[in-house]
Amino acid sequence: MTSSPSETANGETEAAEADADAAVEAATPEPHPLQEFADHVAATVGGEGAVVFDTVKVEVDSGDWVSALTTARDEMGLIFFSWLSATDWSSEVQVGDPYPEAVEDRIEVLATVGDISEGRRVTFSTTLGKDSPSISSLVGVYAGANWHEREAHEMFGIDFEGHPNLAHLYLPDAFVGNPLRKSFPLLTREVKPWPGTVDVEAMPGGGDEEESADGPSEENPEA
Amino acid sequence: MVVDQDLVRHLSESSVSVELQTEEMTLNIGPQHPSTHGVLRLVARVDGERAFDVQPVIGYMHRGYEKLSEVRTYPQITTLINRIDWVAGYANEIPFVVAAEKLLGLEVPERAQYIRLILTEMARISSHLIFMASYPLELGAATPLFFALRERERVLDLLEGVTGGRFHPNFNRIGGVKPAYGSGSSTRKVIQDLPAGFLAATREAMDRVLEAVEELELLVADNEIILARTKGIGVLPADVAAAYGVSGPNLRASGVAFDLRKVEDYLPYHLFDFEIPTGENGDCWDRWHVRLLEIRQSVRIVQQAIDGIPSGPLQAKVPKIIKVPQGETYVRAENPKGEMGYYLVSNGNQGPYRLKIRSASFSNISILPWILEGVLVPDIIAILGSLDFVLGDVDR
Repeated sequence: MTSSPSETANGETEAAEADADAAVEAATPEPHPLQEFADHVAATVGGEGAVVFDTVKVEVDSGDWVSALTTARDEMGLIFFSWLSATDWSSEVQVGDPYPEAVEDRIEVLATVGDISEGRRVTFSTTLGKDSPSISSLVGVYAGANWHEREAHEMFGIDFEGHPNLAHLYLPDAFVGNPLRKSFPLLTREVKPWPGTVDVEAMPGGGDEEESADGPSEENPEA
Repeated sequence: MVVDQDLVRHLSESSVSVELQTEEMTLNIGPQHPSTHGVLRLVARVDGERAFDVQPVIGYMHRGYEKLSEVRTYPQITTLINRIDWVAGYANEIPFVVAAEKLLGLEVPERAQYIRLILTEMARISSHLIFMASYPLELGAATPLFFALRERERVLDLLEGVTGGRFHPNFNRIGGVKPAYGSGSSTRKVIQDLPAGFLAATREAMDRVLEAVEELELLVADNEIILARTKGIGVLPADVAAAYGVSGPNLRASGVAFDLRKVEDYLPYHLFDFEIPTGENGDCWDRWHVRLLEIRQSVRIVQQAIDGIPSGPLQAKVPKIIKVPQGETYVRAENPKGEMGYYLVSNGNQGPYRLKIRSASFSNISILPWILEGVLVPDIIAILGSLDFVLGDVDR
């Protein structure tokens, strides 16, 4: 059964891709099967619902954060707390690539909850300002939010009002800064550029001489 | 000899906690302790033999993968995420590459999906076998370790034969599995597929795993000491587990028949027959037993997949430099430890703009302060072990 992929296989792939493209074009006006569920959740909790790449995402006002998730838990059966985190939207980034176009500076808080029967899940999202972002804690709704909020607090500098213990989770107590903010540099790479950007790194304290001195010893280890 | 019957009765009725005046003290467990599966520290306040207010201290293994992945390209990131849950490194790669494929709109060839599925289930078997080895050991029974690790080695050998790595396979590529032809600096066209004899050897190994599971069940399930130490210990109700985000076998042990393999479509699990084993009481015993039963189900899946594996290409057509279109998605998978998922935000470049890693063990051990409240000190170890976490999966 260990057959090898061959030219015919590649031909099939191309055909399959063409089919897929055609299918996408034909299916574009059709609403996503999850759209109805997204609209239903959005209408129940009071927000904007969308399906992005098979992920149901519902945006709510930051003031409605706790009430929206309480409704989701009590009325929609979304009792499973999957995760909470954030995205730092910024046009100025210290590491990685920025968005090609300018984005509005903001912190987006995300929380995914689901049920434990049919596999439905919703990612709730809300927007906070960059300067001293603050939002009510979800610990009273989902006990599991405790550690996730501590992580988001230290990584993004978000203040979760009403959290019982907003201490550092991963970072040392004395650590200053919020590492997952886009303004936070990757300090290792500030000190030393990426290894591998040049094929051969210069030897410390010497250049060609050491290389030439090492050369023969590799060929003749006994020398 | 005259025996004071009143005294005898008094002694037999009294319990330790009533008679002894104990002082509250703080007990530090870890960060180096065999039962912590890495470096986890527990600070417990104990009063006599009871523990109160147990606070886990984590972060000793924090490697900052979420930040690092913002400066890496998609193919580079699979090497990082192998190291999250290192006991099942292969399974970590799947939801990430599926998330990238979703944004790219790629259709993965069937054969590649089958290979992914077979190797994922073998990773699950090896991960659960580690649990079968280590958990009785933590309770004082050394023998099951040899039975379980022997079979795990067989499974890992097969994984290594396909991927080249026992722990860190780095075998998945966006669009499929490892390229069918030699690439990079190699100009020679090397055809790579499953190694010859892999399917037959896997079929044999699966039979051996089933035999070992029988042996393990006989060894452990009839052992009165193990039963006494696990039955009714560390009971976790389903609603509490859900609120804390406890997932995977730990949730199913609490009687919830919920398995992401049945409800998500990241791999073609709908093609295969398998059951979702559940526990009844949500105690340490059920958490052991559910994992034992899951090994049998994984073997069933692997056997069916071997029978039905189609031929064909191993990779969809992808450009040499992969730029993932703008968008965001959350893809989650049923990993051996529970729900593992990646929330991927792409800005159209070679690396993610943001990658949130949802790991199973992180949420699974966030239950510790709740579940260890008021338990006996020796039960701390029994409960810790039963949750089957890996610190790399906690700290990321």
